[in-house]
Amino acid sequence: MVKQMEERHSIWLRIFHWTNMIAITLLVLTGFYIHAPESFRLFSNMDTPRMLHFAMAYVLVFGVIGRVYYAIVAKDAKNVLFNPIPDIKNLPSMMKYYLFLSDSHPDYGKYNPGQKMMYTGWLVMAICMIITGFILYNPNLFMGLGGSLGGLIAVRVIHYIINWLFVLSVLAHVYLDVSEGIPVLLSMFTGKIPKGFHDSAHTHDKSIGA
Amino acid sequence: MPTKLSRRNFVKLCAGGAAAISLSGYLAPFMKEAVAAGAPPVIWIQGGSCSGCSVSLLNSVHPDIEKVLLEVISLRFHQTVMAAAGSMATEEGLFKTVEENKGNFILVVEGAVPVGADGNYCIIGEKNGEHLKFMDAVKEIGSQAMAILSVGTCSSFGGIPATPPNPTDCKPVSEIVKNVPIINIPGCPPHPDWIVGTIAHVLLYGDLPELDKFGRPTMFFEGIIHDNCQRRQYFDNAIFARNFGDPGCLLELGCKGPIAHCDSTYRLWNNGVNTCIKAGAPCIACTEPEFPGWPIYERIPEMPIAPGITATVDQIGGVLGAAAVVGIAGHLAGNVLTGRIGPKKNQDEKEGDN
Repeated sequence: MVKQMEERHSIWLRIFHWTNMIAITLLVLTGFYIHAPESFRLFSNMDTPRMLHFAMAYVLVFGVIGRVYYAIVAKDAKNVLFNPIPDIKNLPSMMKYYLFLSDSHPDYGKYNPGQKMMYTGWLVMAICMIITGFILYNPNLFMGLGGSLGGLIAVRVIHYIINWLFVLSVLAHVYLDVSEGIPVLLSMFTGKIPKGFHDSAHTHDKSIGA
Repeated sequence: MPTKLSRRNFVKLCAGGAAAISLSGYLAPFMKEAVAAGAPPVIWIQGGSCSGCSVSLLNSVHPDIEKVLLEVISLRFHQTVMAAAGSMATEEGLFKTVEENKGNFILVVEGAVPVGADGNYCIIGEKNGEHLKFMDAVKEIGSQAMAILSVGTCSSFGGIPATPPNPTDCKPVSEIVKNVPIINIPGCPPHPDWIVGTIAHVLLYGDLPELDKFGRPTMFFEGIIHDNCQRRQYFDNAIFARNFGDPGCLLELGCKGPIAHCDSTYRLWNNGVNTCIKAGAPCIACTEPEFPGWPIYERIPEMPIAPGITATVDQIGGVLGAAAVVGIAGHLAGNVLTGRIGPKKNQDEKEGDN
């Protein structure tokens, strides 16, 4: 039986996803080395990771700009942005589903409130990383900004903490997506997902089916 | 006793005031002319400080301090260098100079200004039979000056006296006097060149030098230590010192070079002999406004996680990471047990297909 496929992720969305993924992964790895070269021995010199870090920083800047532009132009923002009033209302039912207290959850649209929270959080975190990163990259040019954030040491601490937040949230992101099923992972490559893949867990869809 | 203290007389009083200021020999003759033509006198007062900035000034080598005091700067009052004492010093040296040169003298302030307990923590002399508080002196004299030079991190940004818990409530000069242009020359201590060079600039041009966001002259504070470090090649090659005295970049020993602004790596101290990092001491970023609010021998400070308990970001991140892994494992087990993934699900799908 050939499964009916429907489009889930457009080509642009996939491009931004994977460029940002590569940029963030390399930024985290090089960043850990730059932070603690003696305990995180991934590179043999400081030049390569620094150059890579700065290059990937620019990739991330353009990736974030592109993703935000896409979200506005393709009207994708409402799918991804955390909207406090309906999404907080939807949180309990989602938590119940994830804590195995219920077998199904209502249809939230493309992403559930938890996903929206994470993706919106990444946008905020990426912007914070870009700002603090550029302050540390050129302390002369952004002297006033660095001072207003509490000095360059504070900027360094913020930059490092958000780096850890990225590591932890990516861990959760990868697990939750893969555990949802291999088709979900594949859809980020092919853009397509079997028709009705997400419906089995939706209560109202079930009722329609019945 | 002289009723009027001239510059000559003051210099005579400066017994043993022979050290040196490292103003280039080229500038000295111009300075001499400027002073002869009636350049503004300089008054130097000290408050919440260790006098280290004064010692640094006396370490001027080229031209030496004698020449600077005799020919370059018309220094009228300096608590630790002058020989005059008591009412002669304060009445004649300090207040008479201020009165005679209203709006036309340079005030150098060394040390933070303690304003706690109504300023009673720091009394620098007597005026009309009453205590002369440092706070009042800075306020009164400072507001009549042409410009104020905050010499040292303490008077520029608060520095060590203003570090929490700060029982004396020390403040930088910029929070005490608002109506007079202030030049910050931070450093713990500042290089003698920075002090004399800035005074020379103001005297020669009658104008403030170009300042950065924190009021520091860009001619001395533009570069980053890290970018001009003698040990930079060690950093690029990832050779890091693990102990003091090792060859290698001092980053892992807490060097703050990448965030510190000043030119001491190529200006060098003690008449061009050495500088902190070259000598094996990590940079402590003493020219930055937040100094010394960070651990000196650690890269970044630890985070408070509970009252009185701190942890490194790595420890917190590691614990949260372990918790996340445990959570994921638990959730995965739950997923399998409830049949959301695994063989059961496939069975359901087959049944559904049928």
